[in-house]
Amino acid sequence: MKDNNCIKIVEVFRTENGSVSQCNKTNSYILEFGGTTCSFKASDFIDFTKRVNSLDLVGMILSSSSVTDVTVLMPPYSERCFVLTLTDVLNLKELLGGAKFSLHLNSVIWECLRPHLYSI
Amino acid sequence: MKDLLRLRTSLSEEIELLLNEQIKTEAYSSAVYLAMASYCNRNGFDYSAGYLENQSNEERGHMLKIFKYINDLGGRAISPEVVNIPQEFESFKGVFELALQQEIKVTSQLNRIADQCMRLKDYTTFEFIQWFLKEQIEEEYVARRILELFDVIGEEGTGRWQIDKQIPKVSYGESAGEE
Repeated sequence: MKDNNCIKIVEVFRTENGSVSQCNKTNSYILEFGGTTCSFKASDFIDFTKRVNSLDLVGMILSSSSVTDVTVLMPPYSERCFVLTLTDVLNLKELLGGAKFSLHLNSVIWECLRPHLYSI
Repeated sequence: MKDLLRLRTSLSEEIELLLNEQIKTEAYSSAVYLAMASYCNRNGFDYSAGYLENQSNEERGHMLKIFKYINDLGGRAISPEVVNIPQEFESFKGVFELALQQEIKVTSQLNRIADQCMRLKDYTTFEFIQWFLKEQIEEEYVARRILELFDVIGEEGTGRWQIDKQIPKVSYGESAGEE
């Protein structure tokens, strides 16, 4: 674990459509998706994931209006934005879901290891 | 890999969500009590109006206590959106029936949080929530006793005037029924 912390950028999860990495130097997450790269603080990343998960896919499918063909998402504290089609939303959900699982698994592993790492 | 999630907060996502829901419930209770105070004021129940205003402040205090706890632990406390506050009530007694129902709802939500804390082994939040559970014993007791005044005194004649005067005096002793 100690050696791993010296590596500044660690890949958390990757799909063929993008990746989520963690920067151990700045304590942030980096999302690469659809040609856009964004950096998030931990709390903002969780918030962004929640926003993506709450997108109304059924509404997008059922609506005949062209307005609902795409969804625009602004990551917090960023001038960039994601313009997502229905397929993009599904792909982004898959990516963020996988990243969230890996991050929680990492937390669980740390929870198990912590008593041994810092025992006197 | 560093555990950034744990560095951010010691609250799990589930508990943070439940606590934010509780903030919303407390804010809603505060707003409903204020609407009740206004109804009582409009209908000449001055003592009850004062009592309900105090209750409203108390609920807001509860909300802020949870709000501060979430932020203190590195979580994200959300300022709640409070909508659909009833402004009219069917009767003087109806006000206090609704108040008791609201308190029962709060107790049941707090129990759900305590249950989830045990499941996730979050003993810090479990300890924090104990204060609220204890508070709910008093809240429900007082709400029930007030409602009973309507039967004990009766609403006929000057009954409602008497009930109104008695309402702010209802309090909870350590053993139930104690003056």
